[in-house]
Amino acid sequence: MTSAHPRRKRLPILEGVLLLAGLAVISPCFLAVVNSLKTLPEIIRSPLALPTSLNLDNYAYIFTGVDLAGSMLNSLLMCAAVILAQIVFGSMAAYSMMRRRMWGGRFLRVFFLAGLAVPFQIIMIPLFKEFWLLGIHTTYFALWLHYVSWGLPLCIFIYSGFMATIPRELEEAAAIDGCGPVATFWRIVFPLLAPCTVSIIIFWGLWIWNDFMQAFILMGANKGHLAFVQLYRFLSDQYVKNWNAIFAGVVVLSAPVTLLYVIMQRRFVKGLTAGSFR
Amino acid sequence: MALDLVRTAAPPRPLPRRPGRTLPAWSASAILCGPAVILYAGFMVLPAILGAYYSLTQWNGWTSTARFIGLENFRELAGDDRFWTAVRFTLFETVLVVAFFTFASLLLAVLLDKVRRLKGLIRGLFFYPFVLSILVSALLFQYLANYREGAVNVLLRWIGLGAWAQDWMGDPDLVPYFIFGLVAWSGLGFFTTLYLANLQTVPAELYEAAEIDGAGPLRVFTRIQFPMLLATITTNSVLALITGINLFGQIVVTTQGAPGYRTVTIGYYIYQLGILNNRQGYASAVSVATFLALVAVACVQVALLRPRTVSL
Repeated sequence: MTSAHPRRKRLPILEGVLLLAGLAVISPCFLAVVNSLKTLPEIIRSPLALPTSLNLDNYAYIFTGVDLAGSMLNSLLMCAAVILAQIVFGSMAAYSMMRRRMWGGRFLRVFFLAGLAVPFQIIMIPLFKEFWLLGIHTTYFALWLHYVSWGLPLCIFIYSGFMATIPRELEEAAAIDGCGPVATFWRIVFPLLAPCTVSIIIFWGLWIWNDFMQAFILMGANKGHLAFVQLYRFLSDQYVKNWNAIFAGVVVLSAPVTLLYVIMQRRFVKGLTAGSFR
Repeated sequence: MALDLVRTAAPPRPLPRRPGRTLPAWSASAILCGPAVILYAGFMVLPAILGAYYSLTQWNGWTSTARFIGLENFRELAGDDRFWTAVRFTLFETVLVVAFFTFASLLLAVLLDKVRRLKGLIRGLFFYPFVLSILVSALLFQYLANYREGAVNVLLRWIGLGAWAQDWMGDPDLVPYFIFGLVAWSGLGFFTTLYLANLQTVPAELYEAAEIDGAGPLRVFTRIQFPMLLATITTNSVLALITGINLFGQIVVTTQGAPGYRTVTIGYYIYQLGILNNRQGYASAVSVATFLALVAVACVQVALLRPRTVSL
């Protein structure tokens, strides 16, 4: 009974089959890359063939005609601004509710938790109206307000769960030494939350980068030059689909995400599944 | 106002507290919780409450006042054929999605758990579609399924099965499976990963004991893995339920409810009413009714599944 552990058994056939199945799963993505290098007639004539020549016209077209570069920069800035606010506000609130005998702390925990259940369809119309009354409708600031508030319940939930694993002694020592609660949090607790913070950056960074629906609804048909909103606008403008340009756009907008995913797959999987343990 | 950790470690006796320079407890709470509470209350809770109120009004979204009409919207909803068609289609998709994400990903996870070589690569391939935007996955599927130039039909004609080529998105009998395929493709890796994470918590001793007792893979699954996974089965089925009921973005990108009203989901119907037809009051009523139904079903689901959970 040495190495007969069943989990160590080699199963080459199963591994081969699953590898092929996995490749089949991502085959549509291969197709998008291959077809982004062809002309439209080529795509229609022989969609599965490799391109005969390296044709980068489609990429040139989407960068000049759709201004994808500018909207990608906007998306990146939006991601950074939203995530920064979510991390700062969310972690502080979670700390206050979980670790300090705060008046109303228990109520606030339930109050924030309820937000996990609210679907976008319920709030989209009143939210638009509210932004309109505040005079900030269809602005990036309004979208930022929405993204931050939309993400806070999950951030607080993830931080609260993780905070339970941190020993209290450090905070108590800091308090004895006269360190105030806000400083105690930033100097002592926050650095210990780093794994959580990484998960939140990945989860919301990807979510906001990939979102087109909420941004499109809240920013209206013409405003909001964000990456996927631009792509969506571009393809809903056309009656006959220019698949060649669409594929080029899809590849460009998915490339940064794919690159990061390949580099740090484990962190990605951890971050993206962190949101599910309710 | 605060001391560095480095400095606090140095002096031989504890420093005296300096109450004059620390903030009172309530203001510290306000600083820590304030921003989150204000944003969340202002842009999540308030719109949700307003949405509930609008569901009791007749309002086109642009007039400044919404006319209060009580439960009139809900009465109209009960007799609205297009709403019930949307409910039927949404439920059909939800049943498929819940079954697939609960059981197919369970099977895939059990198989992936046995893989030793190229583990990261194989798992990574299955998870990858989840990283992509809904817009990307919907576009890819729309391209694959296109009747004239789509890759699926071209492939079928190429291998001589041209007769099997179908209008995957235009045929009312096939389009529900097209939508299901799209949702299944994007989410499979995610749900499988949740199972895999749980499978890793199964202690090796259980597998060893099973092997000593001469149990085959099937018995290992039914007696060890399945009972240990029940908590995740609950999680996944509830998450799949939410995914199915809220099905919306994929419809906007691909079919927009066509052919006819065949693929109008509840979410898309709300969007049609509220954004395209300016019936905000009625749209709010549909979303409130759906939300309450979803909460009720999810509670029943959790209540039914939770007591069966096994832990060591």
